[in-house]
Amino acid sequence: MIEIIVNGEKQNITFGINIKEMIKELNYTKEGFSVAINEIFVAIKSYESTTIQANDRIEILAPVQGG
Amino acid sequence: MTKSINNKNDTWEIGGKTLNSRLLIGSALYPSPANMEDAIKESAAQIVTVALRRQSAGENAGGNFWNIIKALNIHVLPNTAGCHSAKEAITTAQMAREVFGTNWIKLEVIGDQYNLQPDPFETVKAAEILIKEGFEVFPYTTDDLVVAKRLADVGCKIIMPWGSMIGSGKGLMNPDNLRAIRKLFPELQLIVDAGIGKPSHATQAMELGYDGVLLNSAIALAQDPVKMADAFRVAVEAGRLGYEAGTMQEREFASPSTPTIGTPFWHQFK
Repeated sequence: MIEIIVNGEKQNITFGINIKEMIKELNYTKEGFSVAINEIFVAIKSYESTTIQANDRIEILAPVQGG
Repeated sequence: MTKSINNKNDTWEIGGKTLNSRLLIGSALYPSPANMEDAIKESAAQIVTVALRRQSAGENAGGNFWNIIKALNIHVLPNTAGCHSAKEAITTAQMAREVFGTNWIKLEVIGDQYNLQPDPFETVKAAEILIKEGFEVFPYTTDDLVVAKRLADVGCKIIMPWGSMIGSGKGLMNPDNLRAIRKLFPELQLIVDAGIGKPSHATQAMELGYDGVLLNSAIALAQDPVKMADAFRVAVEAGRLGYEAGTMQEREFASPSTPTIGTPFWHQFK
């Protein structure tokens, strides 16, 4: 297991998994959000080719009301 | 049913779209999602602002809210609210483009947490990069003429000076500054964004020749948001019509409108 930060909170996930697998492991829904790692946007097409590293800071953002 | 607007002949182009309504409306702070939906419809706005925020595991990725917005079938303008650097804003814009399926971005880079004043340096920096990446940037800025020039220099076709602080409802603090920006940039789309509190403020902005008005709190925090949305719809139309009609020149002295020839009991004042 490795420790990462997801939306500001510590999480432990399986070592060596990619974004798509992380999303499933953390029980996020399948669509309707976007992901950034260490403040860098990661497009959906890159989810399977991007491996999560220890201490990565991950943002998972979804639509909300805005002004 | 979405309200139609009266001035159907008045169309304008923004971000590659032709619109009738010159009112851009926010989707936050309403008493309920249903009230938000009704108010947006009543406003006849064709652009609604939205945002991105952290999602909790197991949630339906903003599903209900986003479904309501999608069903309105109007253009969405995602914002970068809460960002404090060009880097944060650029990443948020890239994420928004993927989620909302639009290259439009309301660029907000905040430089001061107390008055939510935009950071002009980071805003210009972010705008330049986002435009190169194919975004249509709607930059939120102050009424500073030089900042507007810098934004235009990096390729912004739209500039959105504030009326006053976000959520303050104080109206147009510096109409002369706004007028100067309008005069310098007749070819750009100018929208007053933030600080509008009353329908008359929106009318004033439109009378200055601004192409549109963007507001949220003034409608959402009204006692009756749906009725206020209607009021702003009419106010924006009135201001635009007034601008097109051409207002009279101000005069330093009184001038009677009723004919003076034949005035009864006329006599010369001494």
